[in-house]
Amino acid sequence: MDLEVLFSGQLLIAALSTGSIYALVAVGLNLIYGTMRMLNIAHGDLAMIGAYIAFWMFTEAGISPFLSLPVSILASVLLAIVTFQFLVKPVMRSARMRDQAEANSLLIFFGLAEIIRNGSAAINTTNPRGYQYLDQVLHIGNAAITANRLSALIIALVLVIGITLFFRFTTIGLALRALIQDRTAAQIVGINLERIFLISFCLGFALAAVAGGLVSMYEQILPFMGFPYTIAAFVIIILGGLGNLTGSLAAGMLLGVLETFGIALTGPSFRSILIYGVLILVLLFRPQGLFGGRRVAAR
Amino acid sequence: MIRGLDKITGTLLVALFALIVLWPTFASNYEIGVGFDTMRWGALALSWVVLSGMTGYFSFGHVVFFGLGAYIVAVTWLVLPWWGGVLLSGVGAGILAIMVGYPCLRVRGPYFVILTFGVAELVKFIVINIEAGLSMSGRMLLGGPSTITLYYSMGVLAVLAFILAFWVRQSRFGAGLRAIREDEDAAETLGIPVHRYKMTAFVLSAIIPGMVGGLFVIRGAFFEPPNVFDPRVSLTMIAMAVMGGSDDPRGTVVGVIFLALLSQYLWANFPQLYAIIVGLLLVIFVLAAPDGMWGRWQAAKRRSRSMQTQDS
Amino acid sequence: MALLEINNIEKRFGGVVAVRNVNMIVNQGERIGLIGANGAGKTTLFAIIAGNQRPTSGTITFDGERISGRRPDAVSRRGVARTFQIVRPFGELSVMENLAIGAMFGARQERSIDEAEARASEILKDVGLTDRAADFASDLTLAGRKRLEVARALATEPKLLMLDEVLAGLTPSEINEAVAMIRDLQEKYKLTVIMVEHVLRAVMQLCERIVVLHHGEKIAEGSPEQVSSDPAVIEAYLGTSKSLGTSRS
Repeated sequence: MDLEVLFSGQLLIAALSTGSIYALVAVGLNLIYGTMRMLNIAHGDLAMIGAYIAFWMFTEAGISPFLSLPVSILASVLLAIVTFQFLVKPVMRSARMRDQAEANSLLIFFGLAEIIRNGSAAINTTNPRGYQYLDQVLHIGNAAITANRLSALIIALVLVIGITLFFRFTTIGLALRALIQDRTAAQIVGINLERIFLISFCLGFALAAVAGGLVSMYEQILPFMGFPYTIAAFVIIILGGLGNLTGSLAAGMLLGVLETFGIALTGPSFRSILIYGVLILVLLFRPQGLFGGRRVAAR
Repeated sequence: MIRGLDKITGTLLVALFALIVLWPTFASNYEIGVGFDTMRWGALALSWVVLSGMTGYFSFGHVVFFGLGAYIVAVTWLVLPWWGGVLLSGVGAGILAIMVGYPCLRVRGPYFVILTFGVAELVKFIVINIEAGLSMSGRMLLGGPSTITLYYSMGVLAVLAFILAFWVRQSRFGAGLRAIREDEDAAETLGIPVHRYKMTAFVLSAIIPGMVGGLFVIRGAFFEPPNVFDPRVSLTMIAMAVMGGSDDPRGTVVGVIFLALLSQYLWANFPQLYAIIVGLLLVIFVLAAPDGMWGRWQAAKRRSRSMQTQDS
Repeated sequence: MALLEINNIEKRFGGVVAVRNVNMIVNQGERIGLIGANGAGKTTLFAIIAGNQRPTSGTITFDGERISGRRPDAVSRRGVARTFQIVRPFGELSVMENLAIGAMFGARQERSIDEAEARASEILKDVGLTDRAADFASDLTLAGRKRLEVARALATEPKLLMLDEVLAGLTPSEINEAVAMIRDLQEKYKLTVIMVEHVLRAVMQLCERIVVLHHGEKIAEGSPEQVSSDPAVIEAYLGTSKSLGTSRS
């Protein structure tokens, strides 16, 4: 193992690349979980959908993955609306359901994830897909990175920062933050819960789909590729704090660093082991996240 | 409090037991296999209920015990008699449960769900890497016992799982678990040793799936990690329990029979659609009948009973 | 020997001090009132005694044994029971089951379900919930749930019963009923009672000794008459004459 590699900018850039995508996915999940307290286990699979859309549009119609992003967004928003209408609203409507909302939503999203994953396997087959786009190698200092990764990195960062600003400086963002803090209080001051839920749901889905579209340029595309992103997003939410979007950015980058450097030390087949390992360690030793706040685990 | 069996259910269960015992005498080899699989799901789903149905801690990674049991049998195949490997699988699964349960049970709700799923995937990848390191791309398990022996062994596990789930539900322990499900902090304040109870439920729910995994891999005579650590096993267990009724083992049995028969049909005719349809069914049932078919029936019974007393 | 000894309890949540320098003694058979403005630290103190929270410093001794820092179920087994300010019934279980669970655990540790239900029936009679025994706890009215909360705590067979604002939200006649019920229960089951309350007239009626908390510290202690004429208490509740704009102090 070449120790020099460890300290090169190479790994750092790779870590940023991975981290920015993770942060993007995490922000979406954070929105949904923060406002609705529903864990969208299907979240990573939305990225998978975005990836396949980009793939098919590029290989069948020659459309650049950047240009197919709006299509991914549209598709995911449509899916979000349908899911919200038929799966989420019924759970939140009946009083009895609401008590068990968390449990029921877990099962429902689990079912949804299975439907999406296996539906994708049926449509796309389980053969790994990929395509070449913008894969010229650029040099920044002594680090090398492909143009597609770099552009994905930039777009992801822009989006995450943009959403964070949106969160902070707009009325809707304020409503979302209020909702994450205290649902009852938010209702009392007149915030229309259902509308805000729908917005955060659609936004969350869209962000995941965009992330998928971006990674499709340089990652292998498989029907079951989504789950590691769900896990990563989850780790990030725990580390960065529920509802804390800036925290998601920071934690996303941290996870990117951990994973990239971890793989450099051990090997690519250890990627999953690393992520799950981090998840377990975090829940064991730092369940309140990096920044404290709402406690997740028992003492 | 929850008590014994009413006459109807009791009779039905005895009939079911008789069916299980007598099945191989008139069924074809294929049908004995169906029986084996159905009882396999029964043992798995009922074990899952002991933890997740009772405490509300949904384990989405329960396949890990199944897979580990399979692995233990595969690895000890040439060293131990088959039933020794199976017993060891149960022990191994229990030990894994202790190791995993301690950290996992400290978190609740969706965190627990993700964590258990993550642990299952983690163990899967570890086993894959170990096997790759040993240059094994799969293991053959030749010279195992007959189908009939395996059938009755699985029958023993299925019956044990039912008895366990039933006993837990009726016991003081089970009352404590249900209190934990309702409100864990209030339960602890009332004197329930929540941590110990959760761990116990977790370990109890792991042992039988471990042995089931062992029997499964013996029947297939082949061990391959992705096969035995398949998340769809967890999905199916959960779907059966939810559709049948995850509070009551009798309901779970209903769910098992329903989905097992449906699965046989789907696997034979539309294998690609299997998980899609199970996922769809799960969603529909959670929305329309969250207490499962059994819960629905019980609620209807209770309503008609209260209406009767109103009339009188 | 006192039943409950609270020594120098302090509790911080990050930078916020919820409770500071609290010392208190409760003797067997007493009825103690714990009053103070919202945020004074009363419920936090309850949580610390019952084990739901760990104190930052200080100790609590119950019946000669140290209970501070122990888990709630261990504290409950020693004979301390509490109700919650916002009631927490086991909604999907029946009223009878709620109580039976209390009897099976807590200090009583009843092993037989039949015996547990027998004790539950007894208590149901005392709180007037016998005809609701088979109903789901979530079907009860608020007043019913409050009774359930008290009854369930009682089922654990405690020596010390801590009631957290059980009278909140009740109508005046319901309050009278509740006060009478608490008195009867205390006598019948030989309890020691600490009650956090805002309904001052009930506290004055029921309690022989009152402890006043303000901003997490004990500012007064004594009989109802002593406490209600204590200038520090009056200032805490009503403010000084300056802020009131009158010449009364």
